[in-house]
Amino acid sequence: MIHVSDDIIIRTLARILVPFIQLYALYVIMHGHYSPGGGFQGGVILGASMVLLLITHGYGETKVRFSERGAVIFSSIGLLIYSGIGTLCLVFFGNFLDYGKLSTLLQVVPAHARSLGILGVELGVGFAVMAVMFSIFFDISTSGELPVDE
Amino acid sequence: MEVTLLVEAMDNSFRLMENAKTQAIELLNSAVRLTSETRAVEKKKFETIFTGAREARARVQNMIATFGILFVFWLVLSAKFDLFHLSLGVICSGVVTFMSHDLLFANVRVGDIRLMLWRFVTYIPWLLYQILLANFHVASLVLSPRMPIYPQVVCFKTKLESDMSWVTLANSITLTPGTITMDIREREFFVHALSKKVADDLSTGEMEDRVAHMYMEADHIYIQDVLDVAPIFGELRRTL
Repeated sequence: MIHVSDDIIIRTLARILVPFIQLYALYVIMHGHYSPGGGFQGGVILGASMVLLLITHGYGETKVRFSERGAVIFSSIGLLIYSGIGTLCLVFFGNFLDYGKLSTLLQVVPAHARSLGILGVELGVGFAVMAVMFSIFFDISTSGELPVDE
Repeated sequence: MEVTLLVEAMDNSFRLMENAKTQAIELLNSAVRLTSETRAVEKKKFETIFTGAREARARVQNMIATFGILFVFWLVLSAKFDLFHLSLGVICSGVVTFMSHDLLFANVRVGDIRLMLWRFVTYIPWLLYQILLANFHVASLVLSPRMPIYPQVVCFKTKLESDMSWVTLANSITLTPGTITMDIREREFFVHALSKKVADDLSTGEMEDRVAHMYMEADHIYIQDVLDVAPIFGELRRTL
C-alpha cells in the first residue's frame, strides 16, 4: 500500500520540484534527436514525477492530474502516434518509420522531415512510457485495489 | 355621573396609549431585526464575493507566475532561440502549468512575490557567512585534542506559519555545520546540535527572525496585503 509521507520537508520539496521535473522530462523528449535522451528517458522522468507526487501527496492529489484511466488513454495514444507515423511512411512507399518519405506530406526537405518524424515518434514513445511506468508502479503498490488515503 | 365618564375616558385613552406603545415597540423591534438580517445577508454576500475575487485573482497570478518561471527554466535548458523551439517551449510550459499550477505556489500568501525573491537573494549571503563561521567552529572542535563536544537535541516551537518557511528554516539549519534538523512535528522543530555554542546560537532565533522577515510572516504587518486588497474593496463598496 502507499503510505502518504507525513514529513513536511519531503512533502513541500516534492511539491516544488514536481513542475520542474515534468518540464525537464518534456525537454528531454523534445530535444531527443540532437542531444542525449529521447522518448524513453523523458517518459521515465515524467512517470517518476507522477510517482513522486503519488508517494508524497497520496492518490487523491495525484488523481486530479493523472489517473489510472489517464494512464490507459495515454499509453494507447502513444502507441497510436508511434505506429501511425510508421504506417504513414509505408503509405508513401517507404519502409516502416522511413521518415524521409514524409517530405511530400509535410512540404519540407527530406532532412527536415526526418527530424520532425523522429520528434513525433519520440513524443509517442514518451507518452506510452510515462503512462506504463505510472500504471506499473500504481498496480504494484496497490495490489489492484483502489486506495483510500486519509 | 360625569366623574365616572371622565374616569372611563381616561381609562380608554390610557389603554389606547398602552396599545400604541406596545405596537410601536414591536414595530421598532421588527425593524431592528430586519435591518440586522439584511445586514447579515449583505455581509455574507459581500464576503463570498470578496474571497471569490481574491481566490480567482490569486489563481490567475499563480498560473502566470508558474508559466513564467517554467519558461525561463526551459530557455536555460534548451538554449535554442529559433521560433520552432521557442514555440515548443511555450507548449511544454503551458502543459506543465495546466497540470500542476497549484503546486508551486500552494501556500504562498498574497504578499508581493518580487519582494520575497529580493529578500531571498539578500538572505543567501548572510546564510553563507553563517555557514563559514560554523565551519570554523566545527573544525576547531574536531581538531582540538580534548574534542569538547556536547551533543544535544534542541526542540523549540516556531512562530513561522507556512510550510515553505518551515522548510527554508529547516534546510538552513541543516546546511549550517554542527546542526541538523531531525523532524518537524506540530510546528515544533527537533534539532540535533553538536556543541553548546551551536545550540545557543540556534536558540537566539536570529535565523528564524530572518526567515520570518523573508516570507513576511509572524511579527510583520502585511502592508502589501492591504495594498493588494484596497482596490478590490473600493470596487465592491461602490457596487453594493
